[in-house]
Amino acid sequence: MLHLTNIKKTYQTDKIETTALSNINLSIDKGEFISVMGPSGCGKSTLLNIIGLLDQPTQGQIEVAGQQITSYKDKDITKIRNEKIGFIFQSFHLIPDLRVIDNVELPLLYRKVSSKVRRQMALDALDKVGLSARTMHYPNQLSGGQQQRVAVARAIVGEPSLLLADEPTGNLDSHMGDEIMNILESLHKKHGTTIVMVTHDEAMANRTQRIVRVFDGQLVD
Amino acid sequence: MLKNYLITAWKVFLRRKLFTFINLFGICITLTVMVVVTRVIDNHLHPIGPEKTSKNFILVSKLLITNEDHSHVSSSSPGFKFIHDYVLPLSTPELITAFTRESLVPFFIQGKKINHYMRRVDANYWKVLDFEFVAGSPFNQADFDVGKFVAVINQQTAKKLFFKTNAVGQSIIFQNQKFEVIGVVKNVTRTELEAYSDIWVPYTTWPKTSYRQQMMGNFRALLYHSNTDRLKDAQLEFIDRVKNEFVAVDQNQTIAFSNADNKLEELARDIFGEERSYDSYVQTLIIMISLASVLFMLLPSINMVNLNISRIMERSSEIGIRKAFGASTKQLVWQFVVENIVLTLIGGLVAFILSELLLSFIESSGLIPFVEFKFNLRILLSSLFIILIFALVSGVYPAFKMARMDPVIALKGGM
Repeated sequence: MLHLTNIKKTYQTDKIETTALSNINLSIDKGEFISVMGPSGCGKSTLLNIIGLLDQPTQGQIEVAGQQITSYKDKDITKIRNEKIGFIFQSFHLIPDLRVIDNVELPLLYRKVSSKVRRQMALDALDKVGLSARTMHYPNQLSGGQQQRVAVARAIVGEPSLLLADEPTGNLDSHMGDEIMNILESLHKKHGTTIVMVTHDEAMANRTQRIVRVFDGQLVD
Repeated sequence: MLKNYLITAWKVFLRRKLFTFINLFGICITLTVMVVVTRVIDNHLHPIGPEKTSKNFILVSKLLITNEDHSHVSSSSPGFKFIHDYVLPLSTPELITAFTRESLVPFFIQGKKINHYMRRVDANYWKVLDFEFVAGSPFNQADFDVGKFVAVINQQTAKKLFFKTNAVGQSIIFQNQKFEVIGVVKNVTRTELEAYSDIWVPYTTWPKTSYRQQMMGNFRALLYHSNTDRLKDAQLEFIDRVKNEFVAVDQNQTIAFSNADNKLEELARDIFGEERSYDSYVQTLIIMISLASVLFMLLPSINMVNLNISRIMERSSEIGIRKAFGASTKQLVWQFVVENIVLTLIGGLVAFILSELLLSFIESSGLIPFVEFKFNLRILLSSLFIILIFALVSGVYPAFKMARMDPVIALKGGM
């Protein structure tokens, strides 16, 4: 499903070069649910951004769903991101000016799906996260847990083969965090979605199939 | 997708009321000024009153007489002698009319002095210019030839002097001459410079005949041809006559310069012209107007570019989200440009309403007497075009700059 080979990521600021990731070799099978753990600043989010093709590695190769990404143009990467990857962020990242239903429709919008089909797919996704009754609300009219469920609906509406979650429960209390985790587990079990989740929470990580630990930009056993 | 863009745009406008107001204010003021100025100029260049025949005539209105070394220069409107000797004999025009500039003459009504504009004209004047008679008719060639004391007045004068619009058969007295009103015309706007007046009488009724000997004076002439292509020939014939056949008045007045221009050429010559030249300044006028318009629009555009960058910058998180879920740079540029076009179109609509209000105020205030601004589709379409250029100029650069933002940086808030 996903192969990272010799990934290195450095940032250049003035004359100082900072290494965020080095020598990352990681394979994730189709349908696997893994968590990435590590202390703050160790490179977890950078790793997730590279897996999600939001960021480009300084060195190394990425293969997503059998496609080598390294040499792809921005336009092609955008298309893969739109069709094969779904994102869930710690701070939800919903567009405040759009209603819940419009937020969920967002990935389909760029896939040029007809408005009728788009609406139905968004309603189905909201139904999966138990938010059918809040379609016409705006994000600021929802609780944190509800906003994150909208974010999950948005991430899964396009039926991506890879779901990336960057500390999805980090801004929620344990009850709401638990709800989100249940949804992710259900998606994994029912639909076989491959999920990579960055978390600080050992208990949440223990609910995934595999834990990958990052320390000082490197994978550790 | 467009619906999504429009919803977002509307919400952003409502959320950022101050920004929206500042932007709309800038667009409105710029466009209102441009539309009003354009309509006033257009009203002059494309008249709707008696001068609606303007595409069929050219005007002789200036004369400069000098000597070989230009040590002595006289410049003013031509006098009757110049018109008589060098304009009236021209063979190319189908019709030539000679007439004076309008001048104020006093009337006393119930002991109160009221000034009216009076113009002395010939019989062809009524054929070249298309006056709308509400009563009576103009004087004819026979009336003109015998110097009959007849007058045509406008509606406003008829109302002021006789308290009614149909004043045919009434008498008016000014400069110790008594004229019979034989026609009443619709009021003529001030922007129609050759037609504007309150009273028109035959110039053959002039109390003295000394005007006939004057080379310089306050006469003008229109050269008319029903075939607009022949006007160029008439212009060349006139210039050739002035250049080659001018007879020296005395040793200080040996060379004459005069032009026969259409309205645009006349305007260009007034602004940029050199009286001792037969060149056309139309191209210079068009370039200068275009440059002025661009500069006039550039300042608010630069302001809008800055405002747009800060507005979009605030939405960097949204850019990040949209990018993460598959928006291409092109789609994001389009989204922000659409937002800008919507805002500019709203501004354009408000500017259009404002300019209509301003123009109707100008109409009713008497600032430009009797002016009438008719709805003009050409100007509306041009304004729409300008609005779109405005939107693109001020929207594309910020949109492109922001749409190319790194998604990771954008998601962090663009820092």
